Amino acid sequence: MRLIVRNFEDDPTLQDLLSVDQLERLNRTLSSLCQAPVTIAEQKTTGAIPVEFNLETVAWLSGGHSPEERSAASELVSFLMMFVAKYRLAANLHHDTTEASYAELQRQNDALKTSEARYRALSDQLQQKVDEQVSVIQQTQQELYESARLRSVGQLAAGVAHEINNPIGFISSNLRVARDYIDDLKDSLPATPDHEELFRDFHDLLSESMDGTRRIASIVADLKTFSSIDQADYTMCNLNDLLRSSSHLVQTEHGHQLDIIERLNELPPVAGHPSRLSQTFFNLLNNAAQALSDKDFGDRKGRILMQTQMGTDSIQVIVQDNGCGIPDDCRARVFDAFYTTRPVGSGTGLGLTVARDTAHAHGGDLTINSRQGAGTRVTLTLPIKAR
Amino acid sequence: MPDYQAHDNKLTLKVVFYGPALSGKTTNLMQLHSLLNPERKGELMVLETRDDRTLFFDMLPIGLRGTSGLDLRLKLYTVPGQVQHDSTRKAVLSRADGIVFVADSQPSQQDNNAMAFGNLEENLEKVGLDIDTLPMVVQFNKRDLPGVVEELELQQRWTSTPWAPLMMASALQGNGVIESFRALLDRLYIAISDEFALEHRHGIFRHTFIDGLSACHEADRAKL
Repeated sequence: MRLIVRNFEDDPTLQDLLSVDQLERLNRTLSSLCQAPVTIAEQKTTGAIPVEFNLETVAWLSGGHSPEERSAASELVSFLMMFVAKYRLAANLHHDTTEASYAELQRQNDALKTSEARYRALSDQLQQKVDEQVSVIQQTQQELYESARLRSVGQLAAGVAHEINNPIGFISSNLRVARDYIDDLKDSLPATPDHEELFRDFHDLLSESMDGTRRIASIVADLKTFSSIDQADYTMCNLNDLLRSSSHLVQTEHGHQLDIIERLNELPPVAGHPSRLSQTFFNLLNNAAQALSDKDFGDRKGRILMQTQMGTDSIQVIVQDNGCGIPDDCRARVFDAFYTTRPVGSGTGLGLTVARDTAHAHGGDLTINSRQGAGTRVTLTLPIKAR
Repeated sequence: MPDYQAHDNKLTLKVVFYGPALSGKTTNLMQLHSLLNPERKGELMVLETRDDRTLFFDMLPIGLRGTSGLDLRLKLYTVPGQVQHDSTRKAVLSRADGIVFVADSQPSQQDNNAMAFGNLEENLEKVGLDIDTLPMVVQFNKRDLPGVVEELELQQRWTSTPWAPLMMASALQGNGVIESFRALLDRLYIAISDEFALEHRHGIFRHTFIDGLSACHEADRAKL
């Protein structure tokens, strides 16, 4: 039986209704019922009468003994066709509706898939946003931790400095008075060579001690500037002063052995957070000092250049060393928090992280140029019109 | 849409009996089968299942010939009224040329009527037909039952629709079935006669169309 895609309601042909075998069988049984053989065919032959079904001529019947026999046979075939057609109609309609339902299901399935994909994309976006927020929170937490630590260290330093300031004041003044007394005493004693020697030595001792108190006073002053404990969070800062204080502290840390070249140009005051800026300068200078100590210079000497200069709308602070430099494979990670190449316990891995955050907090930026073995140059750029 | 096959000079029209479950669509068709005596009439094909509920559809073909030899056929279909057979309803409804909406007159069935009518609107749209231009007759059936909604009330309710006046019927008794069918034939003729030049080319006038397709047996005609 041929398979054609047709509407269920199209008028069926003989081929739609009966297969070749079935038609043969129908011809055979009808012929044995009739007095003479009959033939049912789709094409009209001479003497054939139509087999009608539902107003449609579905076949032609020929043969038979008489016209009456032909018409009775035709009637019987029409009667049979009705049941065949009924089944075929129902089957075709069922097929049509099943196809339509399936197509509808597929459409819905596609729509569902599209919407699922949309929700998945949305969920990914949300996850990304959450991740971003989490990283912001972690960053802020780190900054808070750093600034709290810095503040407590600063408070301690300022407290110590304040306590030291008074005794140093009267020690220094007493020493000066004592030196005058020595001069007076010298005049009232017989001038023997022994006495001369004793007085000169005594005088030198007191002078050296006074020099010591001056140095103590200067360290105390640097500490106060560094911690900026008596200043509000944001104030107008003199960057050169902050740099000098930081440089003194780094010198103290490294036994006054560093060769620090200062090229500080005239700068306008900059609105900023002095203790954070000081901490940044200290970190940069300290890094430079470490880089020098990590390199074998032979008979040559490591140097640190500390420079400030003014551009059209920004100030640049440059800290440059000719030390060991940063290896290529580390350069991408130098700003990562807790990333350090130093042995455990000697570096937190936060120096550059905090330095760059401070630069960003002041509306500026921090860039690093480095070549392994040749040195490192860190440039801190701050806008002149800070917030 | 009418199916015209030029090589056979054959025009096939499709009329669908639509409506809520158990409103009497099949009964309408069975009555037409027994009452009508048109020029040509085929077998009534009833595809019922358990409890005499229509599972697929029923179909009755009738026809007449024009003076040009036009083989004009009208296939009358019913749809299954039960809600779950919606895809079958849609398949039967596709390419319909006219609708007889068979509603149930019992007060308890008014919601079902409304739902079935909504479903008809929806399905017509899905198969690309326009309810406002499609020839349609609304029949309220089962007028023989006691306690049915008053005709006046029904007529008033539908008065501002394109389907007023409503046809009243009692299909089981054979009342109003032929009248509903003739009303539909009238609207159908108006809708299609020009397109196929029924009058000029095929000699089928409005009255030939209506009378030819709704001719009744003599005995029944006397009864009407």
